[in-house]
Amino acid sequence: MNKNILLSGMGGQGLVLMTDIICEAALKAGYEVKSNDVVGLSQRGGMVWGNVRIGDKVYSPNIREGQGDYLLAMEPLEALRWHHMLKEQGKILLNEKHINPVLVQQEVEDYPSEAIEALNEEYQILSINAAKEAVRIGNEKIANVILIGMLAKALLSDEFKIDEEYWRESIKDFVPEKAIQLNYKAFNLGFSN
Amino acid sequence: MKKMMMTGNEAIARGFYEAGGVLASSYPGSPTVGILSAVNQYDEIYSEFSTNEKVALEVAIGASFNGARAMVAMKHVGLNISLDPLMAFTEIPTQGPFLLVTGDDPGLSSSQNEQDNRNLGKFANMAIVDPSNSQEALEFTKKALDLSSKYNIPMMLRITSRLCHSRSIVTLNDRVEYDIPGMEKKPEKYCMIPSNAKSQQTYMKDRLEAVEAYAYDTSLNIYEPTEDKGVLIITSGLLYENLKELDLDVSIWKLGLIYPISKKRAIEITADYDEVIVIEEMTPFIENELKLMGVVCKGKEYFSLTGELSIEAIEKGLEGAAVINKINQKTIESEPVVARHPVFCTGCPHRSTFDIVKKSKADLVIGDIGCYSLAALPPFEQSNSIISMGASVGITKGLIKSRKNNDKPIVSVIGDGTFFHSGIPSFINLLHQSDGEENVTFLILDNRTTAMTGGQHNGSSGRFNSKNDLKVSIKDLLKTIGFEEVEEINQYNYKKAKEKINNAIGNKGISIFVLNGPCALKYKLNKPYYYVDPTVCIGCRNCIHTGCPPLEMKKYHNIDKLKSSIDQDMCVGCSVCAQVCPVNAIKLSTELEVEDE
Repeated sequence: MNKNILLSGMGGQGLVLMTDIICEAALKAGYEVKSNDVVGLSQRGGMVWGNVRIGDKVYSPNIREGQGDYLLAMEPLEALRWHHMLKEQGKILLNEKHINPVLVQQEVEDYPSEAIEALNEEYQILSINAAKEAVRIGNEKIANVILIGMLAKALLSDEFKIDEEYWRESIKDFVPEKAIQLNYKAFNLGFSN
Repeated sequence: MKKMMMTGNEAIARGFYEAGGVLASSYPGSPTVGILSAVNQYDEIYSEFSTNEKVALEVAIGASFNGARAMVAMKHVGLNISLDPLMAFTEIPTQGPFLLVTGDDPGLSSSQNEQDNRNLGKFANMAIVDPSNSQEALEFTKKALDLSSKYNIPMMLRITSRLCHSRSIVTLNDRVEYDIPGMEKKPEKYCMIPSNAKSQQTYMKDRLEAVEAYAYDTSLNIYEPTEDKGVLIITSGLLYENLKELDLDVSIWKLGLIYPISKKRAIEITADYDEVIVIEEMTPFIENELKLMGVVCKGKEYFSLTGELSIEAIEKGLEGAAVINKINQKTIESEPVVARHPVFCTGCPHRSTFDIVKKSKADLVIGDIGCYSLAALPPFEQSNSIISMGASVGITKGLIKSRKNNDKPIVSVIGDGTFFHSGIPSFINLLHQSDGEENVTFLILDNRTTAMTGGQHNGSSGRFNSKNDLKVSIKDLLKTIGFEEVEEINQYNYKKAKEKINNAIGNKGISIFVLNGPCALKYKLNKPYYYVDPTVCIGCRNCIHTGCPPLEMKKYHNIDKLKSSIDQDMCVGCSVCAQVCPVNAIKLSTELEVEDE
């Protein structure tokens, strides 16, 4: 059985680090892993997305439309943009913090709040204001690791085994040494959410 | 043996390390920028980001002449500027094993075109390998260098943007060291004057034929026959992995060495099948090679010649070819969602410049390639052309020399990285035949780094960062060329910059400004935040129109009209919004705290 994990957000939110951490944890747990790292202009506030596929045998790093198990969305509008990639019973793990695209900022288009709200009728959405929580426990940079914690929990509750210790080891591999404890805090917050 | 996750880029770097690579050069460009960054971690390899791709290639050629294992990596369009040295270099029997990595970009995720460099590899008489995952990227790098050594042929490793940025598991091996014999003193071999180069035309053909003979049973190609001899699919690269996801009962011939293809082998294998279908992105390169051999095959009539071929696109193409039955899966109708364009980062120094240009009397704005290409998008929409690295200056000259009505002002923009890459010759050319009647304002945006690709150093970085050794002053260089008036302006001083730029736009002649402002991302601008006083704000949106991400029109309690606001967690304190505010409604937070006390 494979698990297909989608990530979406905008440049600068640390999606590359998220794919790194997920890939490494899955590798440590003994699975085959393939990912698409962030595609698009990273760091420039544009739309970015990536994905990770984990399982016994994975050929393509690409996820077919309608085959995603989880969507880790670092921004609600970016959940709306990619939800069609999910299976019917797919789950959305959401950072509730809005960040306006430039067309909304310039009042050319509206932020699609109603369409985002309607996603609740289609999918199980686990949401948290990760940006706010991250600032509360440290700084906004670790918002992405809160979502990693939520994913670790969701995978376990769906009986896809990646032990908590592998997640911790993986985080340790990728974040600067002085930030390890803070990132563990963020992971715990997501894991117990 | 240790296993690791690696991107395609990292795997190429690892392969070069294991293969005993001595020198690697590159110029930063997506999707291959990560190769050199990864090579950088290996002390055994000398690596550099050169001034441009042509120079990078020449540096690698030097190492190869010396008998050392050399690699040069670049994005697909980088090969265009490199083609001059490449076309002569490939005439010479390769001494030190040589690998050129080209990062093609089907789907144009970050490029101005979608050129298929397999065609350039063939044009330059190179042999080409095309890996399908990170493990192959590592192995093919090593194998390509071995082939280069054995057949004295320069090799091309072609990788696509998807695979550059895709992670998969690789197995690591130890590095092998080779002797470096030093450059031979054989001018007849290395001096490509006509009398020496003539014989090399047939030499290159013979060399490729030797590789073609090797290709007959190379382990780089994988043949997966099934019982059913109806259809054979020929493919390469990541498309093989996409195809395998469909779990079809068809035979596959996966090519790793995509040029030259063994004619003998191709005819032998395809003869067994009723139908041969080629799946490849962009041009029908493999398809055409097979057709030249007399193999009856189809490809591009079922698959798009632009963009990536996703699993779905392959499935749809194979349905069109009647290889698979009608797809049952319903296509998912997704509603269009508001686009999220990339924008200048919070605190980016270029923001003030383009706000000034947008409000100016400039008739045309000639853009170039770098972060400031984003000025073509909302909210600024201030670029009338963007072509290729360094092209803005030459294009500007052509415009002023061919216009009847030459008093209409032109603003021409180039960044520091692009200036050093290929802008300098155009500035020298500009002085030639300047008559002072033109009205051109050149804005050289110097943010002290090659920012768009992640903040690599360039010719002027050393002026601001002691870790970099290049300290070219753009102003001094232009003065040496012969421009008498070159002025440096601080981009964060909006008022002064506006006055100077508008003055230049209002007057004839060539004006050149070097607009200084350190990249907010690379040099981590982080000053106290600004906030909006909604009781002073008149809702004019001057600040909003700068497009700085923390800004937003907001409904405040007890105020009817929407007023501006700033997200204090995002603001880095560049002050540009406060400077464009006509009523001083935007204030510094440190002053707020003073008031509170």
